[in-house]
Amino acid sequence: MRPPRVAVVGESLDRRLIGPVSRADIVRFAGAGGDFNPLHHDPEFARAAGFDDVIAMGQYQAGLLAALLSDLFGVENVLEFGVRFVRPVGLGDTVELSGEVMTVTGVVADLKLTASVEGEPVVTGTARVRVQGEDTP
Amino acid sequence: MNSIGIGDTVDIVLFDVESGKIREFAVSTAVTDPIHTERDVARDAGFASLPATLTHSVVTGHQRDQHAFVSALGLDISRVVVGSVSWRYLRTLVAGDSLTATRTVIADESKRGMRFVTLETAFADAEGALVLTQTDVLIERAA
Repeated sequence: MRPPRVAVVGESLDRRLIGPVSRADIVRFAGAGGDFNPLHHDPEFARAAGFDDVIAMGQYQAGLLAALLSDLFGVENVLEFGVRFVRPVGLGDTVELSGEVMTVTGVVADLKLTASVEGEPVVTGTARVRVQGEDTP
Repeated sequence: MNSIGIGDTVDIVLFDVESGKIREFAVSTAVTDPIHTERDVARDAGFASLPATLTHSVVTGHQRDQHAFVSALGLDISRVVVGSVSWRYLRTLVAGDSLTATRTVIADESKRGMRFVTLETAFADAEGALVLTQTDVLIERAA
């Protein structure tokens, strides 16, 4: 196994910018996950539902945050991950992913994660990860 | 009318974790860690095969009938949104895993004119061991 990384309370995680989100990005994720709700690929359907065009599925944004999390801490060190969907992401949006270490207890850290567009949260998340304990040599 | 209630099983999905699908998730969510796509990296980290990305369980969407389970829950699909999703990992899923996902209604509450239905999906491996739980909260907005 790869050694867990060190985490310090208050530490900001490396930010990541994704986008601008394209039709291809949304369709590619639909193919991966199997979400064929027309809201995510049919512009006319999306307009009838009150949107300007298709919107991304919440699981796309959740997946982007999960990627940030596992890239930084290692997929094998993630114990829990949760997201709350705040508002939709549309075509052309650039999603900024960020996170912060909230607490470290022994070899477990709790994190706060955020995906935002133009400074407004679109998904908020939390995670519990295995880290290197402070007294680990 | 709801045909299923708290404690009832919504659906059961059987699926295999596949390396091609792991790559699709890694690429579509901008994963940079090569552990999901390069066998040598996975092997050096102690995995027998490629580990799946954190939200791989979403693939069960390919095998579910969204309209059927929403109407079985007595929900109007045009007013339903997913409010939150969480995952608890008991071990990392890897290519070659054969999983059974059993989805159950664990809560159903009405607040401020909205209905909140909580579904918990238990993923068990071929040996029957629980490897992952996923919890989804569906929100039905007021009519």
